[in-house]
Amino acid sequence: MSQNPSTTSTLAGTGVSIDIRNVVKTYKTMTAVDDVSLTIEPGEFLTLLGSSGSGKSTLLNIIAGFIDADSGSIEVGGKDLTKVPPYRRDLGMVFQHYALFPHMSVWDNVAFPLKRRGVAKAQVAERVQRALDVVELGHLGKRRPAQLSGGQQQRVALARAIVFQPQALLMDEPLGALDKRLREQLQLEIKRLHRELGTTFVFVTHDQEEALAMSDRIAVMRDGALVQVGTPVELYERPASRYTAEFLGESNIFTGRTHGVDDGSALVVRPEHVRLSAAGAELPSGHNALDGVVREVVYLGSGLRVEVALPDGRHLITRSEVRGALTPSPGLPVAAHWHPEHALVVRDDTAA
Amino acid sequence: MPQEAGDAPGAGSSPAPARRRPRILDGWGLLVLPLVAFLLVVFVAPLVSILARSFTDPTTGLDNYRDFFGSPVYLDVLGNTFRISGLVTLVTLLLGFPYAYLMTLAPPLWRNLMLVAVLIPFWTSLLVRTFAWVLMLGDTGVVNQFLMSIGLIDEPTQLIRNQTGVLVGMVQVMLPYAVLPMFATMRQIDRRLVQAAEGLGARPISAFWRVYAPLTLPGVAASCLLVFISSIGFYVTPALLGGPKDMMIGELIVQQLSAVLRWGFASALAVVLLLVTAALLLLVSRIVNIGKFMGGER
Repeated sequence: MSQNPSTTSTLAGTGVSIDIRNVVKTYKTMTAVDDVSLTIEPGEFLTLLGSSGSGKSTLLNIIAGFIDADSGSIEVGGKDLTKVPPYRRDLGMVFQHYALFPHMSVWDNVAFPLKRRGVAKAQVAERVQRALDVVELGHLGKRRPAQLSGGQQQRVALARAIVFQPQALLMDEPLGALDKRLREQLQLEIKRLHRELGTTFVFVTHDQEEALAMSDRIAVMRDGALVQVGTPVELYERPASRYTAEFLGESNIFTGRTHGVDDGSALVVRPEHVRLSAAGAELPSGHNALDGVVREVVYLGSGLRVEVALPDGRHLITRSEVRGALTPSPGLPVAAHWHPEHALVVRDDTAA
Repeated sequence: MPQEAGDAPGAGSSPAPARRRPRILDGWGLLVLPLVAFLLVVFVAPLVSILARSFTDPTTGLDNYRDFFGSPVYLDVLGNTFRISGLVTLVTLLLGFPYAYLMTLAPPLWRNLMLVAVLIPFWTSLLVRTFAWVLMLGDTGVVNQFLMSIGLIDEPTQLIRNQTGVLVGMVQVMLPYAVLPMFATMRQIDRRLVQAAEGLGARPISAFWRVYAPLTLPGVAASCLLVFISSIGFYVTPALLGGPKDMMIGELIVQQLSAVLRWGFASALAVVLLLVTAALLLLVSRIVNIGKFMGGER
């Protein structure tokens, strides 16, 4: 499909910005979305990342118009859509549960949004075929959704969501129901679609790897509020808080009183920045070091994941090369060390 | 002899086991034997006897059938039966569809209340209900009294001993049969599909008719079939609430059996009724999977 860029370019939309302003949504006892403001740039791939109950899906459904916010506003392309019903918002939506119409063929499913918009018949046929070609299902138009695999069904849903050239594409955990291999394949396809269409994508997931792999920017949500917004690199390398650091990737966290650091802060060191040397060996100058004993070594193929037990009972995780200077094995006394520039001081926002 | 409601659903589900894949008759399978024996004695044997009598009483041959199909009076009764059953089906569908739909939307407490309300007819004697309608709809009944008291009419309108009475009585009896299969189908429909349709640009009304309604069709078909076939065999309700012009085939059978004592002719009528029912089932089973909606195979 990627060898056929002309197919997608004819479906290309123009990216529009999405402005979320002070959106609040409260259910009986809980605040699902707590005063969220966020501007999504035209043509951007933005991911709302959070665990279940963080309010990310609620926020997406508020953008789509399926849920009314208690207060705040949603602007798409500079137009206030807060009071506009979903069928006039002109946004494509892809659901985790596919939401394909079971009584219609694949072709009719994809034609549905065009017919509702009164597109001329000949043009419907052409655009449906093009959209199905883009997701490589051009030959399956006559099938019923139930006759397709999960991955194929989600591609049909994608075709249906882009066929009418929506202002933006909203995706609510679209890959959540698929197995790992298929998920990674569709991640690439969605990325490619985004590149070729130029449409603004808003993607919801709880999978941090997926968020890192796909997004231009990630908005981390927790308990209905935004924790941090930034590019994958920013979030991973400069997490503003302990929550973000722990949610994205693995982290070694040190809390408590540290030199020159106030209480209420935490020190974050990513495992790949921790190096191991034999106990007593000379360390690179300026490195911070902790002595410990190797507790467990896991061979990952591309490297080793080593757990080091510290004297105070805590443990430290490192990643190292398979054929490094040191071959760690359980019971080996080591020094774990890192350059201070890799130790980040962040706000500790995980305390109860 | 057709006994309303009770008999017809039995007839409705009987083709399902026949279409089921044969199973090994193991120890548990033997447990169906008492029921099979019972049905042989009280259903199959009389049926065979009725069939035989229709061709032999009073003379051997097709006389009984020739009489029936040769006489406009009798054919009218058959036509009446179809017309009234068709009307009852239509009215129960129009009343039952929105009712079943509301049930799927209602919170659990209300849904249960609605279910009880629709099931009450099941728990009340048919005769009691039918006589209640006689009292309600009669010239001095509640309905006429009320309409006169508010000045809508000057003298009582005839509401029983005509088609209106038959329809009112039969619709009430048949409503649960219409509501329950539709409700069973509707509650399995994923409402998020409707939401998805709206997201794709369909107005709510269009989303309902293009996405929700087509998915209810199996339940609608099952309801219509159940109501229509049950209605064909009605006797008590049309006998008490209908007029002479609205005679249905059940009434004719009783009349021939107990008043005129033409047992052979009555048997022929019963056979016609059975064949029509079977033909309808066959026809509809080509369109929908009946077994599924009678609680049988999936």
